[in-house]
Amino acid sequence: MGISEQLNTYLTLSGLLFAIGSFGFLARRNAISMLMSIELMLNAVNLAIVAFGAFIPALNGDGAVIALMVIAVAAAEATVGLAIVIAIFRNRKTPLVDEYDAMRR
Amino acid sequence: MRAWLYLLAAAVAGAIITTPAIIVLILMGGSFDDALLAGLATLMLASGIAVVTMRDIIRCGLAMIVCFLSLAGIYVQLGAPMVAAAQVIVYIGAISVLILFAIMLTQDKAAPARLVFQTQAAPAAIASIIVAVLVAIAAYGTNWGAVTAQIEATTKTIAFFVFGGGPSSQYVLVFEAVSVLLLAAVIGGVFLAKKERPD
Repeated sequence: MGISEQLNTYLTLSGLLFAIGSFGFLARRNAISMLMSIELMLNAVNLAIVAFGAFIPALNGDGAVIALMVIAVAAAEATVGLAIVIAIFRNRKTPLVDEYDAMRR
Repeated sequence: MRAWLYLLAAAVAGAIITTPAIIVLILMGGSFDDALLAGLATLMLASGIAVVTMRDIIRCGLAMIVCFLSLAGIYVQLGAPMVAAAQVIVYIGAISVLILFAIMLTQDKAAPARLVFQTQAAPAAIASIIVAVLVAIAAYGTNWGAVTAQIEATTKTIAFFVFGGGPSSQYVLVFEAVSVLLLAAVIGGVFLAKKERPD
């Protein structure tokens, strides 16, 4: 059986993309880079959902609908997250998250 | 002269991306579907790594578009063209443009020259590698054919609560929830990003 006909391939791919996104979220200093990493993680989860929907025939399309809903939620999350980043940038004049220390002083 | 260098770099990158596809096709005896999946997966992972490691954040945003596009190709291969179309429209058309605009609004000139990573980058790398290995072990260690009925029952329960029962009311709640959510997000975004009144 080829690699494109196994569920394991897609799940491993999804796990790798999720790991890349989590590394970016933990390691980057720029707030927008962190948001981009969150988008990568959401895409990884979507890939796993679509793969399950494709490989389990009894789900007949529910997987794709759940994936579409995740895409819509991700769009809303990106809108609000970027608006918050721009609002903070207007006050603090920096996009770097380790310089947001108003609650630590 | 510079144009030739760029062309050379593009050729090298293309060769790196297509190498796994050729290996799968010829050495491992896979089908064309396998080769296509290998190429798309390599492109997706390479551009994903570029998103989280490159210094110039504009280039990170452009690499993210490549990552989303190759993921849309994988969705088409999985037999979900609707999700692939939504991926192209929503992610590439809307979210990427939004992120690029936000980058341009928040960029200062010294940003690429400064430190890109936090001090905890090395532990973060180790942790994410562990996550990837664990997911791979879990995927290959589970007999998915045996738990199919279980997955099906769980998903049916979730689908019943989220989408409602019956064929006529199917997906109604999702539609309503998503429309309310998008309205709230748009209003919230406008409110948060609007200019402060000088009073």
